[in-house]
Amino acid sequence: MLVVVTGISHKTAPLELRERLALDDRAAVDVARGLLADEGVGEAVALSTCNRTELYVYASDSLAARQAALRLLAAKADVAIAELEPSVYSYSGDAAIAHLFRVTASLDSMVVGEAQIVAQMKNAYQQACTGGCTNVVFNRLFRAALETGKRVRTETSIGERPVSVSSAAVELALQVFGKFKHHVVLILGAGETSELTATHMRAKGIEQMLVSNRTFESAEEMAYRVGGTAVPWEDLHEHLVAADIVISSTSAPHFVVTREHVERAMKVRRHRPIFFIDIAVPRDLDPEINRVDSAFLYDIDDLRQVVEENRGERERAATLAEEIVADELAKVNAWLRSLEVVPTIAGLRDTIEGIRLAELERLGGRLGDLSDAQRQQVEMLTNSIVNKILHLPTVRMKEAAGSQECYQYVDAVRTLFGLNGSGVDVSADDEETLAGLRGDSAEAGDETAPAAGPDEAAPACGPDNCRLDDEDS
Amino acid sequence: MERTSVILLWVAFLLYGAAFAVFLYHLFSKRESMNRLGLLIAAGGWAAQTVALILRGVAAGHAPVVGAYESLAVAAWAIVTVYLLLEWRTGVKAVGLYVMPAVCIFLGLAWFNYDAPSALLPVLKSDLVVLHVTVILISVGCFFVAGGAGLIYLIEETQLKRRHTVPVIGRLPSLATLDRLIYHAILFGLPFLTMGMVAGVIRAERWGVKHWYIDATPILSVVVWALYVVFVYGHMRAGWRGRRASYFALAGLIVLLFIRFVAEPYLGNFHTYGG
Repeated sequence: MLVVVTGISHKTAPLELRERLALDDRAAVDVARGLLADEGVGEAVALSTCNRTELYVYASDSLAARQAALRLLAAKADVAIAELEPSVYSYSGDAAIAHLFRVTASLDSMVVGEAQIVAQMKNAYQQACTGGCTNVVFNRLFRAALETGKRVRTETSIGERPVSVSSAAVELALQVFGKFKHHVVLILGAGETSELTATHMRAKGIEQMLVSNRTFESAEEMAYRVGGTAVPWEDLHEHLVAADIVISSTSAPHFVVTREHVERAMKVRRHRPIFFIDIAVPRDLDPEINRVDSAFLYDIDDLRQVVEENRGERERAATLAEEIVADELAKVNAWLRSLEVVPTIAGLRDTIEGIRLAELERLGGRLGDLSDAQRQQVEMLTNSIVNKILHLPTVRMKEAAGSQECYQYVDAVRTLFGLNGSGVDVSADDEETLAGLRGDSAEAGDETAPAAGPDEAAPACGPDNCRLDDEDS
Repeated sequence: MERTSVILLWVAFLLYGAAFAVFLYHLFSKRESMNRLGLLIAAGGWAAQTVALILRGVAAGHAPVVGAYESLAVAAWAIVTVYLLLEWRTGVKAVGLYVMPAVCIFLGLAWFNYDAPSALLPVLKSDLVVLHVTVILISVGCFFVAGGAGLIYLIEETQLKRRHTVPVIGRLPSLATLDRLIYHAILFGLPFLTMGMVAGVIRAERWGVKHWYIDATPILSVVVWALYVVFVYGHMRAGWRGRRASYFALAGLIVLLFIRFVAEPYLGNFHTYGG
């Protein structure tokens, strides 16, 4: 069994395709259930954000799992598999887990360090968990991934600095004003960025917004959208006295506010600082304004430069984050490897024991003339052979548990003995008997059953266990 | 007792240094817990120094404000007191970055000027002297914090105007906070300075100190006092703040340092603690 992820993201697929593959909570659980319907799939989680749709499964066959996921996605997007395939990536085993951790740590995000992904991942996992689609492995894995995401956020500065023009403007204004209390924002002209900036500022506590435009109707429209008050354009310079933050994006060909205007307003407003944000091209605000005491002016290029610097900071933080991810990955991989060995040993024992019983059964007629005591001798003899044969492999596998080669052992044993449910025919006509006996023989192979196996320590699944410890993030 | 006092003073010195290191780390790592840890260490240093000064006072048999060693140590103590009070009241960060090294320098200078505890000269046996020194030191503590805030303000403002935002955002206190800190520290320190100066004058008059009014220290003190009064007046009347407030705070601080380290040792006549 290994983890397989199949999906599309902003790196591989255009928005149009991502939109078609977007899953709401209900659809995500449905998809996960659809994946579980496949044989050989033990657990499934479907993650869908605006930048990615990914299906995580814990399956015995990575190729089959990938195909199943592909089929489901293609059906969902209503496109041919061949059409979808170039946009789809798929990882299995360690690479899949590493991908999960990197995604949760926002290292794979469009904006590295963005804060939402942890919550989105948490939601995806919780939906799948309450939907009964996860079990021991994914419960452990996703919790570890979420923990890693949280660690990255608190231990690195990856999410600290804004990397969009509007949020950088807000951050700068906050550096001047400390926090927004009774500060007034004046918006000149219209424009998406200025509206966005205004919205950000409102979220940070700005209550009063004035909107001015050459045409009063447009000002009223904008004021309605941002929840401000429209003020006449003619009084613009008087409003400078009240405004603490000025966001300008008019289409005027010349400066709308000059240094003289600001100097005059400054005297009246007793030198309380003003933060000017000039988003317009050509510029609305005289660059000389920056020379006035207590006036700060950032134009669009300045803000872009700030954003660029912040990106650099994030990248530096990202290297640190990668280290944290590697650290956490090592822990979870060790756990997973130790987990793999136990069912494989049990499966191996079941199979061999099944063969032994089947052969005894087959010979049953011919052994008819044996006494009960002799029958018992045969029973013991075969038992002893099986145990002797299995002894060394069992010991070796247990030794390998937790090490790098462990997967190779597990894989080899599973392939050689047909534990994945395909391949070996013990003996065609005995298949049925064998299947019947497998259930009974569980007890016979009990000595290898994981009495204190690693899966005991992991949280069991069920709706009650799906709540994560802290709901603060 | 004197030995314990000196040891404790060293403990305080080391703790202030450690607090400075932690504040530096806080500046770069931006971990809130680091700022708290730094404050805790600084408070520990303050406690050690408080005990050290009390022991020194007991050993000498008078308030430990006489001579260069004692007065510098007390000045450092006063600065830390004001800083801790302000930090506690206003929650302004980063000022410790400036206060801690300044205090370490003061303590270092004090140690450089160490003298054994001695009985008071008869001329200094007066409650008025104790009052004079105490209130002046409180005001000096305030003006030191104001000067530090002014310095940080000027640096930060210049960085912001030049669009160097990386070292500033989220690391230094906001300009508004620093501005408030400057004003409040000066406003708080001014009455103490006034009181201290009045006490000094009364004392000089009563003891018949000759020509005290043409001595460098009182003259420069009046200059400092006038600077702060003008600033407070300008703030109230015309809203002086920001850059201008920082200039005043820094100018006041420079004159204070000049008084202590130039005027008193080399130009003055009767302020005995110049060493």
